[in-house]
Amino acid sequence: MTSTETLATRLPNDIGGVAAEAISQIDHPLLPWEKRCHALADVLDFHKIINTEEKRRGVEALGAEMVAKLTYYERWIVAFANILFQKCILAPSDVAQRIRTIEHELRAGLRS
Amino acid sequence: MHDHDDHAPETAAAEPPGFYEVLETAVRELLVEQGLFEAAEIHRQIDVLDSRTPALGAMVIARAWTDAAFRARLLADGRSACEELGISFYDDTGLIVLENTARVHNLIVCTLCSCYPRPVLGLPPDWYKLKPYRARAVSEPRKVLAEFGTVLPDDVEIRVSDSTAVVRYLVLPLRPAGTENFTEAQLAALVTRDAMIGVVPVRLPEPGDLP
Repeated sequence: MTSTETLATRLPNDIGGVAAEAISQIDHPLLPWEKRCHALADVLDFHKIINTEEKRRGVEALGAEMVAKLTYYERWIVAFANILFQKCILAPSDVAQRIRTIEHELRAGLRS
Repeated sequence: MHDHDDHAPETAAAEPPGFYEVLETAVRELLVEQGLFEAAEIHRQIDVLDSRTPALGAMVIARAWTDAAFRARLLADGRSACEELGISFYDDTGLIVLENTARVHNLIVCTLCSCYPRPVLGLPPDWYKLKPYRARAVSEPRKVLAEFGTVLPDDVEIRVSDSTAVVRYLVLPLRPAGTENFTEAQLAALVTRDAMIGVVPVRLPEPGDLP
């Protein structure tokens, strides 16, 4: 097997059967924004905007580094944004502008 | 005069939202403004998520242990049998219920991501979503089970079922011996999330166990 072959045969999500460390039985209660993100995923699915399989592929398309370094719901929300851009439902510039607006309002105490 | 000092925990603990939290807010607000859905739908879905806990799955298992006809319907069509008990499948997934026997032990996993029977168990624990469990459950399930303290005899077959976006699994554990006189509610109290994932059996509480 060549050194790059597994990059082609195994995408980042496809880890069934690979060697891995011992299981650590960790869990955490969802942060409020993580729960909102989960509810957003469900509502996007209900309205046939992004379904579960599109979401999974959207996470995979983030690439190995982001999959490895982002937390679970961080991966989800970045994948949703990318999918919404691809479907021309949202424009990257609109999201960037809204992020700046929200950050300004947070600093100004206009929202929490 | 009420003293609003800086020891107020809601302010002392508050950190500004991070980039991804702000991104979630931005995406959600823009979608709502476009009229794709209403903000209230997000709040209602959070309520739905909060209403789903392993207690629902435990109720299903206890009914299956005490009602043979229900058990047969559950194994034939997991979703419709759960719906009989008032459990809605908000995510429109199918449910296959896997029966443990003296010879077969079932384990569920999602190797590709985190698919899980959320309508009956709620959201999965972190370890179910992380690499070690997803990677190893399918290739060395006995070692994985041992890490959960579950050691099965060699003549018990272990079947691992890999969930998909549209088909989810739930394990029907073995009813423990010594529970013949238990009520359905007493049985349900024994059934844990992890037993319905298949990483542990259902056990009777040991003397001295905390309630």
